[in-house]
Amino acid sequence: MINLLRSEWIKLRTVTMNWVLAIIAVAFPLLVTLLTAFFSGDDAGFNTRDLASVLTGTTVVTALLCGVIAAASITSEFGFGTIRPTFAATPQRIEVIIAKGVVVVAATTLLATAVMLIGWLAGSNIAGSRGATIDLADVPTAIPAMVGVVVLTALMSLAGYGFGLITRSTPIAVSILIVWPLIAEGLVGALLSVVTGNDNIGVWMPFQAGIRLVLVESFGDGGPSRVVSGGYFGAVVLALVALGSWAVDRRDA
Amino acid sequence: MISVGDLTKRFGSKLAVDHLGFEVRPGVVTGFLGPNGSGKSTTMRCMLGLDRPEAGVALFDGTPYHDLKRPLHEVGALLDAGYVHPGRSARNHLRWLAASNGIARSRVDEVLEMVGLTSVAGSRLRSYSLGMRQRLGLAGVLLGDPHTIILDEPANGLDPEGIRWIRDVLTHLARQGRTVLVSSHQLSEMALMAEDLVVIGQGRLIEQSTVDSFVDRYADHWVRVQSPTAETLVGSLTAAGALVTNVAANTLDIRGLDCVAVGEMAARQQLVLHELSAQTGSLEDAFLKATAAAQEYISTGLAAQ
Repeated sequence: MINLLRSEWIKLRTVTMNWVLAIIAVAFPLLVTLLTAFFSGDDAGFNTRDLASVLTGTTVVTALLCGVIAAASITSEFGFGTIRPTFAATPQRIEVIIAKGVVVVAATTLLATAVMLIGWLAGSNIAGSRGATIDLADVPTAIPAMVGVVVLTALMSLAGYGFGLITRSTPIAVSILIVWPLIAEGLVGALLSVVTGNDNIGVWMPFQAGIRLVLVESFGDGGPSRVVSGGYFGAVVLALVALGSWAVDRRDA
Repeated sequence: MISVGDLTKRFGSKLAVDHLGFEVRPGVVTGFLGPNGSGKSTTMRCMLGLDRPEAGVALFDGTPYHDLKRPLHEVGALLDAGYVHPGRSARNHLRWLAASNGIARSRVDEVLEMVGLTSVAGSRLRSYSLGMRQRLGLAGVLLGDPHTIILDEPANGLDPEGIRWIRDVLTHLARQGRTVLVSSHQLSEMALMAEDLVVIGQGRLIEQSTVDSFVDRYADHWVRVQSPTAETLVGSLTAAGALVTNVAANTLDIRGLDCVAVGEMAARQQLVLHELSAQTGSLEDAFLKATAAAQEYISTGLAAQ
């Protein structure tokens, strides 16, 4: 397995597109957060909750881009045909799938952790230097939300990986990864709430549940807790990966 | 030694490989021939576990491919030189391949040197020609120093020097005692390189034999005579039941009699012969004859017009 992990790490880091996406995934939330801290840090009302909300809110983009990296890590293998030498070098396909998943999720999780740490430390320092009072003790949900960003990124990466395993096509996998959470779940949730008469049913849409991991505001909507919604989203994502792995293992490469 | 038994693969309603069985012995290059669509590539993919066959098994020295722990040390395969990420360099392509089987990084530079790509090892593969990719593919095959080598159309895209190079490499590897199975459409190359043949058509085995016995069995045989008085011989040859074709001035091709019979006939008539030789058709002729009934795609247009 160590050999496979090394092999998959070489693959991941030797594709330029992955670096481009990773740079955007890191730069976007940091840029927005640090600029906000700089320009709003001297506003009278700017506080810990605002800084945490901006940081965790913008890091959803990081999670999405990490999902794209994960999806492309497997779909590009099918697209360029490198899956064949890969499986010829390691006929135990499930081991390859696990190794690739572990590498890409570890890398994206590390990325999200770095964004959180840098964003918070630099953001609080900048806002503090501009006169704002930033103290994590003021907002008990801030740290869980920031940990939630890291978990969400890992799960979004797994979701992208699962879509990639199932579809074996970069455009289709990435489209699903973007359209499902941003559009489809809203429509399906609205439809279900009309049909069932339950206005709160949308919180059980998988990606909507996942997003609750990063909320700084108290929920107060009668929906599941952060841990429950995260666990629910995680279960859906693992089911996707399991389905994709089964399909790849059975089908011709 | 490769042993393929009862291999069967179906794509929907099409039977691509039909209970195919053959053996490939070590120490010689074995050509794997068949018309387009005959199932050669599918067979190779099934042998390597890339396509899932409905039935049958391929054994490498008695072991199914799936059970090989570090396959690159046992079997080197090149199915398509295009199976590379265009954004990666050749060196990085080989590094991930080597890492997957625990092969040292230094071996990557060794095989790059062997195939003559050291100077462009850092270039992205999108800038590689097909010939360069074939060389890279062969480098990947050699990474684990395997005793079994499987190549699908390795000479595609190579220039004459490259074709000669790959022929020399493969015959050299076979002489070292390795098992080498090569598919190719370049029958003249195969005639120079291969000692054994596996010929398939429509997924079924047509013939497994040595090249010589295959040509002997399927190719045309005739006697060529050159004589300043060749016309004098035609009557007696025809009377003896031979089929005589006048191919050039004073040159006859005679089918139905052997050299001895033709020579004795000429001697009885006291004719001067400038040539009396047994002729045999090429591997290409033999292949076309052997696979005539198994051609998947038959052209009826341009050549006839």
